[in-house]
Amino acid sequence: MTRSTDDIIIKTVSRVLVPFIQLFALYVIMHGHSSPGGGFQGGVILGASFILLVITYGLDQTKRRMSEKADAIFSSVGLLIYAGIGALCLILGGNYLNYGELSKILPVGLAEARALGILGIEIGVGIAVMAVMFSIFLDVSTGGLPPSDNSEEGP
Amino acid sequence: MCVGTGLCFLGLLCLYRGIFGPTVLNRMAGISAIGTKTLVLLMVMGFIYNRVDMFVDISVVYALLNFVGSLAAAKYLEMRGEV
Amino acid sequence: MEVTLLVHAADQCFGLIEGARKQAIELLDSAVSLTAETRSIEAERIREFFRGAQESKAEFQNFISTFFILFGFWVLLSGHFDTFHLTLGIICSLLVAHVSHDLVFANVRVGDIRLVIIRFILYIPWLIRQIVSSNIHVASLALNPKMPIEPQIIRFNTKLESDISWVVLANSITLTPGTITMDIKEGEFYVHALDRRVAEDLKAGEMEDRVAHVFMEADHIYVQDVLDVARIYGALRKS
Repeated sequence: MTRSTDDIIIKTVSRVLVPFIQLFALYVIMHGHSSPGGGFQGGVILGASFILLVITYGLDQTKRRMSEKADAIFSSVGLLIYAGIGALCLILGGNYLNYGELSKILPVGLAEARALGILGIEIGVGIAVMAVMFSIFLDVSTGGLPPSDNSEEGP
Repeated sequence: MCVGTGLCFLGLLCLYRGIFGPTVLNRMAGISAIGTKTLVLLMVMGFIYNRVDMFVDISVVYALLNFVGSLAAAKYLEMRGEV
Repeated sequence: MEVTLLVHAADQCFGLIEGARKQAIELLDSAVSLTAETRSIEAERIREFFRGAQESKAEFQNFISTFFILFGFWVLLSGHFDTFHLTLGIICSLLVAHVSHDLVFANVRVGDIRLVIIRFILYIPWLIRQIVSSNIHVASLALNPKMPIEPQIIRFNTKLESDISWVVLANSITLTPGTITMDIKEGEFYVHALDRRVAEDLKAGEMEDRVAHVFMEADHIYVQDVLDVARIYGALRKS
């Protein structure tokens, strides 16, 4: 499933489409408040763009763009952003994830502090979901074995 | 409204190929065609409910899902030896 | 007995000469591989020089063009035009352009990107007109009670060079009803056409000429190419 296709139409079309898919995913994350979307949906679309690259270009080329080490770091960073914003609100004196406390350090009002807090949470969730989707796909498609002894490859 | 009903009917026509297609690839092509009709149907629904901008986002996501899904299914079938 | 001693001595001499011959062959082999290595190191250096001359300029242009196209796409998607959302748009476009900037314009010659984009935007209305006229023709064929279709498969070679012009031609052929591109094997197109008139339209080659005009591949000489080659040629002559 992770070998590259030799069909030139599919390769070129998916290569041109991937930046647009990624930008659309970031659009869905950022506009969670006014159109359907939010963190999880945008993260899934972002992960789908990398999976598209793996299907059409093969595993080695995609590993150059997003190696497994970078993938693991991204999943941890996403979770860190989420928990970090919550802990920051806790440190500043309120409850966990009470974004109103953020108006103490940022020069905005109470309502905008809540909006910015929600945006930050969505970004963290999006990054974590992208990393986890990509890593699950890699594990399932390569059978969990390192790439040198892949026994899942078909004819 | 009539446009929406017409599109629904055309989509159900495509479902015939999706159920009774002789091979798996026929069924896959039928489902992909239904996906194309669904896309336009979503936009028509957006016009009816007067919130076009929201339904445009959903349509683009469904188009993406259709594309990547067809690719992944075709690749899987090629790996399995159906082609 | 002296004869056996003599034969034994001659045997040992031959053995020594054989050993010396093998050593000489080994030395020559290693010398040859060393010169091959140095030659390949030289060739590698020259290749790096070629690559470095084109690529750094191309990379920056790719990055900027990708950033602008992505930002235009963002503005089109998002209906809000206030500072907060536009700043978010700029940050997101920069991020995505940094991650995948070499994906959109992989094969375009340096300096041609703006012209290619403008010509591509001007090609789209002609394509829409072709689609409408082919639609009417195929609909009249399909609704005819006799259905006078003659499906055939056409193979043809094109004069287009880069992969993205092949893909644009294949997609244009598939978008006009009546013809579907089945495969592209080593530069040869396999197209399934519905009837003779559509096949004749395809063989006339007007679509191919227009796509070649969009991607600037129609037998021109480009000043930018000559300038690039002159600089590299001058540097090679000096070194």
